[in-house]
Amino acid sequence: MILIIIILILISITKPWFTLDETEQGVILQFGKPIAVVQKSGLHLKLPYPLQVIYVFEKRILDYDSPPEEVITEDKKTLVIDNYVRWRIVDPLRFLQTVVTEASAMVRIDDIIYSELRVEIGRIPLFDLISIERRQVMDTVTANSNRKASAFGIEIIDVGIKRADLPKQNEEAVFQRMKTERERQAKQYRSEGQEEAIKLRAETDKEKTLILAEAEKQAKIIRGQGEAAALRIYADAFKQDPEFYAFQKTLETYEKTFNNKDILIMTPDTEFLHYLFKSNQEIEE
Amino acid sequence: MNMDNNEFNEFDRKIIHIYDSKIVRLLKKLGYLVIVIFLAIYLLTGIYIVGPDEVGMIKLFGEFVRQVPPGIHYHIPYPFETVIKPKITEVRRVEIGFRTLSTDPIPRYQYFPEESLMLTGDENIVDCQYTVQYRISEPYLFLFRVKDVDSTVKKVAESALREIVGKKDIDEVLTSGKTEIQDETRALIQSILDRYEAGVQIIAVQLQDVQPPEEVVSAFKDVASAREDKVRFVNEAEGYRSEVIPNARGQAEQIIKEAEAWQEKVVKEAEGDTSRFLQVLQEYILNKEVTRTRLYLETIQKAFPLVQKYLIDSSTASQDILKLLPLTGKDGSAVVY
Repeated sequence: MILIIIILILISITKPWFTLDETEQGVILQFGKPIAVVQKSGLHLKLPYPLQVIYVFEKRILDYDSPPEEVITEDKKTLVIDNYVRWRIVDPLRFLQTVVTEASAMVRIDDIIYSELRVEIGRIPLFDLISIERRQVMDTVTANSNRKASAFGIEIIDVGIKRADLPKQNEEAVFQRMKTERERQAKQYRSEGQEEAIKLRAETDKEKTLILAEAEKQAKIIRGQGEAAALRIYADAFKQDPEFYAFQKTLETYEKTFNNKDILIMTPDTEFLHYLFKSNQEIEE
Repeated sequence: MNMDNNEFNEFDRKIIHIYDSKIVRLLKKLGYLVIVIFLAIYLLTGIYIVGPDEVGMIKLFGEFVRQVPPGIHYHIPYPFETVIKPKITEVRRVEIGFRTLSTDPIPRYQYFPEESLMLTGDENIVDCQYTVQYRISEPYLFLFRVKDVDSTVKKVAESALREIVGKKDIDEVLTSGKTEIQDETRALIQSILDRYEAGVQIIAVQLQDVQPPEEVVSAFKDVASAREDKVRFVNEAEGYRSEVIPNARGQAEQIIKEAEAWQEKVVKEAEGDTSRFLQVLQEYILNKEVTRTRLYLETIQKAFPLVQKYLIDSSTASQDILKLLPLTGKDGSAVVY
């Protein structure tokens, strides 16, 4: 009975086993020499401490978020790149032999990624990177860094550009350009509006003039018709006795044209003075 | 004495022995009871409830062994089996470019321009604030494949939106392209996360506020008002047109009507004049000589009193006229008959 208890106590102190969580993997070291990699989670047996020890590592995909850094593009523009790296420990033994901890692994990753990133981005003009080739660049960077990182038992799964922005002073220039671009657009809209409005007004004025001219034309035709009709009526009437018309019209004209400023110089032959200067005999003749 | 002592001792020993064995038995029973109770309590700690919005993930010594639906369940107590209960129906939400500080009583936000300012495909900068909604689709992957899925979703979302916006023009981003951007970004985030086997489903990417950066916002607003101005200018011209054309048509009608009136008038006048002439003529025909003389003299009577009259000899008229010069009246008019 006592023996059993003693054995149980001894076992629980030395713990000749270990458990690995679903998210973990481990390396067993015997007197400091790695003898086995355990990637299956659950309960495992080992020799008690200090004969064998277990180093546990993360099995999940890990995040490395590096601080933003300036890189230079092919067209010599500076870009502030803030990227993240997804990585995972695939070979815990090599990981243990080279970098040991996640923190020191991240330092290595940072070195690898930024040298790769500089090389790739240096090949591409800024706005090709922003718009068209971002994915290819990142895929290349991922593949190249992955090759280098495998020396540390690390797999680089994905390198993503979280942010790619212009440095502050360049940003100002972009804002200026945006502003002038918009000002140009605003001007264009306004002058287009003016253009259309002026066209429309001119068209309107033209139409107005045409309408009035057409009306004037009509009016003249109508007046002409009226005059013609009147002339015909006069002619029809007056041709019945043209001589009398001439006589009557002449008299009317005298009446209208003489006024008190006029001077009338007459000779005795004037018909009007006929009775004044001729003898009765002459009159009878 | 000795014998007495011996007797007493023997008696004593018997009694002690009896008591002894009774106590030991009692203690033994009590001990078992305590052990049983502790064992029972220990075993009862294996009971757990999975809520309706959760799923139970059971691990044996850290190794995932089974997944259970909502309800009351039992697992082998600690340290053998443990349970994790992720909320799988919960919609998770990540805010990018802003954080909601409080919603009550008035919403207050804090803004993060370094998250929301991004370059567009036509080399402009745009300010996008957006949210990403997602939920756990594969609890196993969610728990065991990627460390800190929530921050992963956020970073992937930032990267994805920038990639998509980087392919668009600023006008597209600001106006028509919003839905497209949301859909494309959602699909891109999903495909990246699927590659990680993150076990989440992106429900929606929602652009909350998309606007030009503060520094240039007034220039953008002016473009909008310029567009309004354009419409206004054209409308004003249309207005001018709809005022002028009917007016002109009215004027035209007036001109024509005046002409028509004039036509009628001259015809009527002609008719009146001629009718008078014809009536006079009828009378004249009856007594030609008398009427003629009378008309002549009547006219002379009316017209002659007005004028100054000079009489000269007809044989020497050409010289005499010169003597009378100048003949003009005040306005220079003169008549030679």
